[in-house]
Amino acid sequence: MSNKEFFTDRYRKMGWKYHTVKLKKTIRINTANVNKPSDLIKRLQKQRLMLTKVPFLKNGYWVEESRFSAGATTAYLTGLYSIQEAAAQIPATLFTEPNGKTVLDACAAPGGKTTQLADLMHNTGAIVALDINRQRLTALSNQLERCQIKNTIVYELDARRASQLETSYARILLDMPCSGNFATDTNWFKRRTIKDVQRNAALQREILTETVKMLEDDGEIIYSTCSLEPEENELNIDWAIKNLNMRVEEISCYGQKGLTKVFGKHLDSSVQSCIRIWPGQTQGFFMCKLIKSEPA
Amino acid sequence: MIKPIDDFVSLFGTSISLDESLIVKKKDKYFLLSQRLKKLASKDFFYAGTYLGKVKNGTFYPGFELLRMMAEKKANRVVVNKKTEWLFICGRDVFNRGIVKVIGTRKEGDHALVLNRYGECLGFGRIVSNMDSEQDRVVIRNISDIGDFLRRETRTH
Repeated sequence: MSNKEFFTDRYRKMGWKYHTVKLKKTIRINTANVNKPSDLIKRLQKQRLMLTKVPFLKNGYWVEESRFSAGATTAYLTGLYSIQEAAAQIPATLFTEPNGKTVLDACAAPGGKTTQLADLMHNTGAIVALDINRQRLTALSNQLERCQIKNTIVYELDARRASQLETSYARILLDMPCSGNFATDTNWFKRRTIKDVQRNAALQREILTETVKMLEDDGEIIYSTCSLEPEENELNIDWAIKNLNMRVEEISCYGQKGLTKVFGKHLDSSVQSCIRIWPGQTQGFFMCKLIKSEPA
Repeated sequence: MIKPIDDFVSLFGTSISLDESLIVKKKDKYFLLSQRLKKLASKDFFYAGTYLGKVKNGTFYPGFELLRMMAEKKANRVVVNKKTEWLFICGRDVFNRGIVKVIGTRKEGDHALVLNRYGECLGFGRIVSNMDSEQDRVVIRNISDIGDFLRRETRTH
């Protein structure tokens, strides 16, 4: 059995029939830098960057037609918009009132979600952004400068050591390092094995365990991956419920309910409050909101 | 501590007021922090708040947010047309014919911000010849432009 057959067979068992997808480029308007989004849309359309609104996103637009790269405009370079895949625009919007709060973005580079969070927070409060790859941190810093972000501090630090900063957080974004999915990587089936998935799932548990320690009692964690593999998604959340005293809070956004039965294994029923997105209009994605359980 | 910044801003015939207690120098780089970030910045950070610029070999290289702040003040500036806007972002100098408006100095040797018709700061340069001269002459030598973000992306990929 080839790698591709192995994974697509798993998807079939999870209720989804594999098919190829062609993703549209998506932009996100940085509302803190744009007074009137409709004026920006008109300006870009005059430059023949033809956009349509993504129905499930507040500030997201698909690029339908363009004679040049969406990243090669003055509006992009002055931070009026960012290029960010549609599903990847959802997690940061799931926090309850992040304005003015101290937020941890534990795996931040290259910074698409960090700049989005800062925009949603109107540059108030503080974002502590971590990553371990120096080159990616440089890319993150460039994004922050381009988007005129003022409320973020960046550390070169492994999320598994995040408590070294001795700060507690009201909101934590865990956009986990993950195995990715075939929709954004044409060689995905050739490059990935189940061992990669298992290794990433273990790393994600380590990051969850570390960051839960720094979550304020009434705080929220948004957990997300762009992996389709249940080990990195529903199974990890089921594990967090059982081992970290966390529970899943209902969220409302584009996507389907999380799986509660995976390859014959029954998970905590609240895992269905997670959101799973199979590739189609967007890449594959998974996300959920975790909060601390009441003490027993 | 902020002398390099003050000196740079004064090249444009203006000044800006920054809370010195919130400016943090890390190696050769200057950052402007909020009170909130200042409290969190006890450890060795990589980047924080607003990047103001860096000093290298005795020369101050401004961050683009500092240029934006200056554009909000009465800094010397020129507004350029659409064609010149993109050429400037690509690192090219500004010809006299590309300028639609001059605010402040026209004097050779002075510095000027370069803005597009939306008032967005594209970078800055040095005035190298009389702006009242003939049209097909370079009048502003490009020193720094926002196309640098694209060039940096190419370098980090």
